Amino acid sequence: MKITVKHWHAVAQWRWDTGNSDPDDADGEGDVCGICRVPFEGCCPSCKMPGDDCPLIWGECTHVFHLHCLLKWLGTVASKQQCPMDRRTWVTAERRVGEASAPGPAADS
Amino acid sequence: MASIAARRLAKELKEIHAEGCPVGINLLKADDFETWWFSIEVMGESLYKNEAYTLQFRFDAQYPISSPAVQFVVTDGHQAPIHPHVYSNGHICASILGNEWSPVLSVTAVCVTLQSMLASCKKKERPVDNDRYVRHAPDNPKKTQFHYDDDT
Repeated sequence: MKITVKHWHAVAQWRWDTGNSDPDDADGEGDVCGICRVPFEGCCPSCKMPGDDCPLIWGECTHVFHLHCLLKWLGTVASKQQCPMDRRTWVTAERRVGEASAPGPAADS
Repeated sequence: MASIAARRLAKELKEIHAEGCPVGINLLKADDFETWWFSIEVMGESLYKNEAYTLQFRFDAQYPISSPAVQFVVTDGHQAPIHPHVYSNGHICASILGNEWSPVLSVTAVCVTLQSMLASCKKKERPVDNDRYVRHAPDNPKKTQFHYDDDT
């Protein structure tokens, strides 16, 4: 029997590689930003479109937030420039292109 | 109110309705995203056994970037627990409500922290400067620069 494919329909899903997110996440919701509680794949409350326009930011402490949410926090005097999770001084981690498929910053020494 | 605070509070409220509050904490009223009330009780053996208090949270448009104003209700027959960090006007001297606030904290996390602050109390007494503070205290406890002198 010979089959001719006349039509096909591709479905894709994207996720931020936060270095610790399990694609088979139990709740299926993925990780949320600790500041706004919106999933990383959604956008921060100030944005309308998720994706490159509302990116994530990684700290050297391995904590991840929506960039806009973290900048709002660091913009306050009360933040003392500390990570909201561990109160260590926030240092943005370098993420180079090509690391995207690596296990993530947690695996770095 | 800016939608950022409202959206985050809506999520917290949904979670409270879905999963309930931690033991000893109950939501009394949350009709808007400006003021919420909770009852708080210390479970098990403590100096506050069988006592229930009411906590009031006031949120501004910058919540959770800015901390909520949290205090015990002292009107309509309510009283503030007698505790070295709780003033008779309901204001609370707790670092997480001031310079140790973090936007990853939540309303229920604050309730639990205050609950354990009461649970670990060794002696029921008012702060030493209670009378002086209460006489001049601002309406909003966030306007007070508390001096955190111990870690209990």
